[in-house]
Amino acid sequence: MPALFPPWSNRALRGALVVAGILGVSAICFPMVYVRTPFVTHEHLAVDQPVAFDHRHHVLDEGISCLYCHADAERSAYAGLPSTDVCMGCHSQVWNQSPLLEPVRRSYFSDRAIAWNRVHSLAEFVYFDHSVHVARGVACAHCHGAVESMPRVEKTVPLDMGFCLDCHRNPRKELGFDAGRDLGAMRLEDARFPAHADHAVTGLTTCSTCHR
Amino acid sequence: MTASAREADAALTDQLVATVWSGSRYFKLGFLLLGAGSLGFAALIAYTFEVGIGLWGNNIPVAWAFAIVNFVFWIGIGHAGTFISAILYLLEQRWRATVNRFSEAMTLFAVAQALLFPVLHLGRPWFAYWLLPYPARMHVWPQVKSPLPWDFAAIFTYGTVSLLFFYLGLLPDLASTRDRAPERWRRRIYGIFALGWRGSEDAWRHYRLAYLLLAGLATPLVISVHSIVSADFAVGLTPGWHSTIFPPFFVAGAIFSGFAMVLSLIIPARKVFRLENVITPRHVDACAKLLLVTGLCVAYGYAIEFFVAWYSGDEFEIEQFFVTRPTGPNSWAFYLMLCCNVVVPQLLWSRRLRTNLKLLWLLSLLINVGMWCERFVIVVLGLEREYLRADQAAYTPSWVDLGLLSGSVCFFLFLFLGFLRFLPIVALSEVKETRRHLARARAEGAAAGG
Amino acid sequence: MTELFELHLRRRDLGRLVAASVALSGLAACAERREKIYPYARRPPGVVPGVATHYATSVVRDGFAVGVLAESHEGRPTKIEGNPEHPASLGAAGVFEQASVLDLYDPARVGGARGPAGLTSREAIERDLAAACAKGPPPWFVLEPSSSPSLERVLAALRRRLPGARVSFHAPLANATRYAASELVYGRALEPQYHFEQASVVLALGADFLDGMPMSLRHARDFAGRREPGPAMSRVYAAETSLTPTGTLADHRLGVAPSELERVAAAVLAELATMSETRVSLPDGLQAALAPAAPLPEAHAAFVRSVVRALVGARGSALVVAGPETPKSVQVCALLANAALDAPGRALTFVRPVLLEPDGGAPLAELPDALRAGAVGALVFAGTNPIYSAPELELGALLGRAASTWCLAHVEHETARACGSVLAESHYLESWGDARAGDGTLSFVQPLIEPLKPSVSVLELLAGLASDFPASGHDIVRETEHERLALGLGKPKIADFEAAWEREIQRGFADRGAAPSLSPVLVAERAVPALASALAASHAGSRASGGQDLELHLARSPTLYDGRFSENAWLLELPHPLTKQSWGNAALVSPRTAGALGRRTGDVVELRAGPRRLEAPLVVLPGHADGAVTLELGFGHAISENLSNGVGVNALGLGVAPGAAAHVAVRATGTKAELALTEEHWTLADDEVVHELTLRDYTQNPPHFAQNLAAQPTLLEPFEYAGTQWAMTIDLSRCSGCNACVVACQAENNTPVVGKDLVRQSREMYWLRIDRYLAGSADEPRIVQQPMLCQHCEKAPCEYVCPVNATVHSPDGLNEMVYNRCIGTRFCSNNCPYKVRRFNWFDFSEARGATVLQRNPDVTVRERGVMEKCTYCVQRIRRAEIAARRERRGLRPGEVVTACQQTCPTGAIAFGSLDDESSEMLRRRREARTFAALADLGTRPRTRYLAKIRNAEHEEAGS
Repeated sequence: MPALFPPWSNRALRGALVVAGILGVSAICFPMVYVRTPFVTHEHLAVDQPVAFDHRHHVLDEGISCLYCHADAERSAYAGLPSTDVCMGCHSQVWNQSPLLEPVRRSYFSDRAIAWNRVHSLAEFVYFDHSVHVARGVACAHCHGAVESMPRVEKTVPLDMGFCLDCHRNPRKELGFDAGRDLGAMRLEDARFPAHADHAVTGLTTCSTCHR
Repeated sequence: MTASAREADAALTDQLVATVWSGSRYFKLGFLLLGAGSLGFAALIAYTFEVGIGLWGNNIPVAWAFAIVNFVFWIGIGHAGTFISAILYLLEQRWRATVNRFSEAMTLFAVAQALLFPVLHLGRPWFAYWLLPYPARMHVWPQVKSPLPWDFAAIFTYGTVSLLFFYLGLLPDLASTRDRAPERWRRRIYGIFALGWRGSEDAWRHYRLAYLLLAGLATPLVISVHSIVSADFAVGLTPGWHSTIFPPFFVAGAIFSGFAMVLSLIIPARKVFRLENVITPRHVDACAKLLLVTGLCVAYGYAIEFFVAWYSGDEFEIEQFFVTRPTGPNSWAFYLMLCCNVVVPQLLWSRRLRTNLKLLWLLSLLINVGMWCERFVIVVLGLEREYLRADQAAYTPSWVDLGLLSGSVCFFLFLFLGFLRFLPIVALSEVKETRRHLARARAEGAAAGG
Repeated sequence: MTELFELHLRRRDLGRLVAASVALSGLAACAERREKIYPYARRPPGVVPGVATHYATSVVRDGFAVGVLAESHEGRPTKIEGNPEHPASLGAAGVFEQASVLDLYDPARVGGARGPAGLTSREAIERDLAAACAKGPPPWFVLEPSSSPSLERVLAALRRRLPGARVSFHAPLANATRYAASELVYGRALEPQYHFEQASVVLALGADFLDGMPMSLRHARDFAGRREPGPAMSRVYAAETSLTPTGTLADHRLGVAPSELERVAAAVLAELATMSETRVSLPDGLQAALAPAAPLPEAHAAFVRSVVRALVGARGSALVVAGPETPKSVQVCALLANAALDAPGRALTFVRPVLLEPDGGAPLAELPDALRAGAVGALVFAGTNPIYSAPELELGALLGRAASTWCLAHVEHETARACGSVLAESHYLESWGDARAGDGTLSFVQPLIEPLKPSVSVLELLAGLASDFPASGHDIVRETEHERLALGLGKPKIADFEAAWEREIQRGFADRGAAPSLSPVLVAERAVPALASALAASHAGSRASGGQDLELHLARSPTLYDGRFSENAWLLELPHPLTKQSWGNAALVSPRTAGALGRRTGDVVELRAGPRRLEAPLVVLPGHADGAVTLELGFGHAISENLSNGVGVNALGLGVAPGAAAHVAVRATGTKAELALTEEHWTLADDEVVHELTLRDYTQNPPHFAQNLAAQPTLLEPFEYAGTQWAMTIDLSRCSGCNACVVACQAENNTPVVGKDLVRQSREMYWLRIDRYLAGSADEPRIVQQPMLCQHCEKAPCEYVCPVNATVHSPDGLNEMVYNRCIGTRFCSNNCPYKVRRFNWFDFSEARGATVLQRNPDVTVRERGVMEKCTYCVQRIRRAEIAARRERRGLRPGEVVTACQQTCPTGAIAFGSLDDESSEMLRRRREARTFAALADLGTRPRTRYLAKIRNAEHEEAGS
């Protein structure tokens, strides 16, 4: 009776076992790595906009503060995008003929919103509030990166729950208070409401701080 | 060993391996029917995934029902296998050799069903993996105070160990099958799975050691798995759940139902494959005795439950056991449970009945029904009447519930049929060993006499 | 979301607002398609996206206004709250006010205009209507009762312009008997005003003053003020046919059939007429007039004796209240009794009727004959649905006789279907208007949003016909108010009117807008004979009726009112306060009557009154009067594509007007109906869950329920709670079960409506339900209503069984539910002894049509397969905290109110932090009658209940 298997079959089997092992391990590890890559987090992905708006020019050259256009960041949950009339506030005077600003003028005169492309998005069950973060001394750049140096705005941090928790679990360190950064009235344990100071911190990591 | 013995072995091997080749048209028919049932099962699972478990009869307060009942039922069935293979092995109960392959296979397939239901019963099954501890981008971990993650782990471990145990036990027989396979391609297939087993002496030595170790490893699992499953209820506040007796009570019930299932499977198989010479009435009798013993444990469990409920003086516990169960909605399950699990097993006191296979088979089926009802009583009747009398509701299963239950039975039998068809259903090597053992014993006896 | 963008295309203005809100509500991040953000092109002044604004407006029902505050998110009205300054609200809002916001987005709303030749434009219809009114026989207008000064002006002008035009004010529950009664007693029509803060003994004769009257919200608040257990606690006697919220809170209650009510009223008055203290202020010859035709049954007589004893004992602070639907004779008795007890000027005052033409204008009953005679030109129905609400007139068949028929309708209803031309009626949140509250306070209706569909208000429509008025409702109302103020100052023109107007609109009601209180003089000589004849008549009537017949009692539905809300999904699903029936109504009878009929709850019976008959399922209601059957209005609509199609039966189908005496023959049909009851059986009050005791027992040996909480043995380290710790108390002796909190919760928390089938499967989604317990006997029940919501246990059983940390405890003592972490094992629900957790069995998140616009953007809309439950309105808590932190201060006392607490008319719910010594919650929590439900389980609930205290007469205390 001829041999059932060729002489190399043992080696083949062992090889197969090794490969199977590797596949098994990577089947577990690969997804964990993948979800942390920009393919999923959309970091460093410059987004085109209907209007060729350049933050570098407005912030660096003209020295306009973030809050001039994103004023709601101080009083509302949403920083929001400036309504067209804010743009026209200046651009009815300057560059009021520029073809680049045609969409803006069209929006203003036709009273139709400009459809911007969202860059920083959170899941709908996340109730992020800009105003309290600004009031607490979290710099815009902490989550949005150096927008002033971006020709087209892009995400620079994953903006996932892990990112939020890093800060909420250890705000002093993350915001640089431990490193001596002192925003005066903006210090976390504000002497004016001691009763609230500790709650303000412990409250940071309870679920309903962000999920309601 | 004498030539005659060798021939006898060979003959036995031929007989037992022959089942693998002897596919009758009844097999094909069976495959067809059960296959169809399994497809229906798959379809219903897909439907539930698509639309949501609102398709079931569950409600508030009865948030758990058929899915959990089926889960506990199957995981219970899955207990006999390891009990027989591991514990009886360690106890050197040699008769187990003829039935352990059956029961291990049964265990495997039952656990497969059991793994299915907990995932299916989730509101958002696609997030089931959140039960596993892994470094998530959310920086959130499972909550280990809840029994459920442990449940998951326990069943998974149990499944894995059962599989290894099954496969290890199968090795030498796969080799025999390989050697007897008529066609070359079959020989190759069985050959691959036999991992080049040649039956050399030291292979056997290693094999026995590994088997012993696995047996030792599996033994605690028999106890642990269902204890953890019972924790799903025991940690709850619900009257009828909140009880310290649950772990032993559940384990006993599990083994009880497991042996019942073994019998309901092995008796027909024995007939079909003419294994009367291998699976003798003595084996069946032994199983039946175990059935009686575990049955008594279960009955004792019931008695204690009622006693403690009364003794606690807690009005809600008392209502649960003395009002809801006998008179509440779905109380039929309670009476069916008592009749099948307490009354019926008492017949097993008589040896005549223990060896009357037809009757025994019927009886084992009844016990399976009874054990399913037990879980139904605990889960559903427990939830139907809780603390707030103002917010109570009865439970009625939807057609999807019933479909999933029968579907899982079909799938289970389908897998089992596959096992009967493609693998040696009795542990050849062990049976042969047993026979040699007996032969040697006889020979020694004769020598002493002469 | 597509729905939104359709609207976006349909209406640019709304589109802007919607688009902004969509963008800002932060939708899920999606990998492939880039999500768009639509900022305003021109931001409306004062709008900060993400910050809700509130506007004062008024909800007007049957002509009576209730001042409310409407919450607006980027221009979307999402929630109604009471207006704390408005005398008819005092910050509370009832079921209908709460639910009214959903009607705005109702998919069943009439869309635009429909002429005989098909779809057309609003302008075209208005033009044709003007023409139709001008030619042919005079037009006939059928309007909802109104108290609007602007409408008054418009109607005057309209009559000048169209001489012979007739105007009827029709609503099934609108009822002029109280005016007729005061005509008899005081010689002029009067609107009685009840002051329950003054009343220490109250007799309610068929009067649901806590829930069923124009000023009920105010009554409830005033009444609750006198219900603190103690010497000042008032006592209420109620005689009523069915069980109402008032009956629920009454200290002594007598179930009486309508005819018996009249005799009880008469007997009370007769007793008063014999007593020296009270005889003086009563006209002579009263006894003679009141000599009862038949002696009262002993139970009733005893009730009357004790009532009179209590009333006379409290002379000067006693009050007799007769329900607006009760017959004239009862109201006359009540007025006279009040006079005898010198209530007038104290607990009872009068103002002139606030309705225009309180008698209802041209009687609608004459319309059929006029139609047959062909004497009606344009027949205009505006805001009324008589084909449904007055079936006895058979208008459906007669409409053809009118030259043309017109209907201004909110939803497609029976009358709209029958009319030649239909025009969409604006919702009150879309249109300007004015109206008077029950006490005459002039209130303003201010829109929050441009009409979602081209529509017009009654005022604008009629003003268009009168044609010498400005086109916009705003200008009309403003003009009226200017005239009023000018008149008041006796000047033709006011310089600083603009400022006054701004202030009034901002506040929601007018300066010096309240009606002056009158002090009329009793003119007995007319009252006595009238009373005598009325009583004689009704006795004759009751004797005439067959023996086995039941008296018919038609009542306003506590969930659908008179049917005008029948398309409101919230109200359709809302369980009845007493029967707990959802999605339908039933024939309510007492246990004894049901026994006599040999029928049980769910059996369908046939009711026959003269030629008319209808079939309704029977529901046994303990405490209901024997020998009577109650049908509630509002159900049984038959517009096939509407939500309400075939839900319940139309009680008016028997052709009997509410309040009219009638008998019905009841016959079993042998069939059974499938009722959606959220509580199957009447649960007996259980000491583990509710406590109920009499004032005497409570004061003589106060219980200490708190003890069973004090020392609970535990193996764990006692946890120290520091800082803000949220907690709630619910006072069961204030809870009438009126359901306002249930709807408020639903509106605030985006709780879905699941439909009849799922309710029958016990899958309703209410975060806050009201459990109804029965103390005493089934014939003389004492109802305890217990709002049941998440108890926020300090040792929450749900938390330790969740495998994924989806329900956890917050440092400020909340039991949090994290929807986006939940995988739906439902273990938490199994382990919750209070069964307050709800599960999304299906995907309930997609809404009917535009109703998505109602949703509260501060609360997650839950997806399929997750658990949800009461959060103590955590979104409000966190909003307040964020504001506090932004402004670098602590939380102010009472800065956080939950939705249920805010709307509760009796103020039964108190909420606050355990570290806030000033909070009402803490004060109540420390009362001796405070207890925790199922305390023995050791869950240590943060929600505590205050035992229900009944100020019962002593000899009956034990009962």
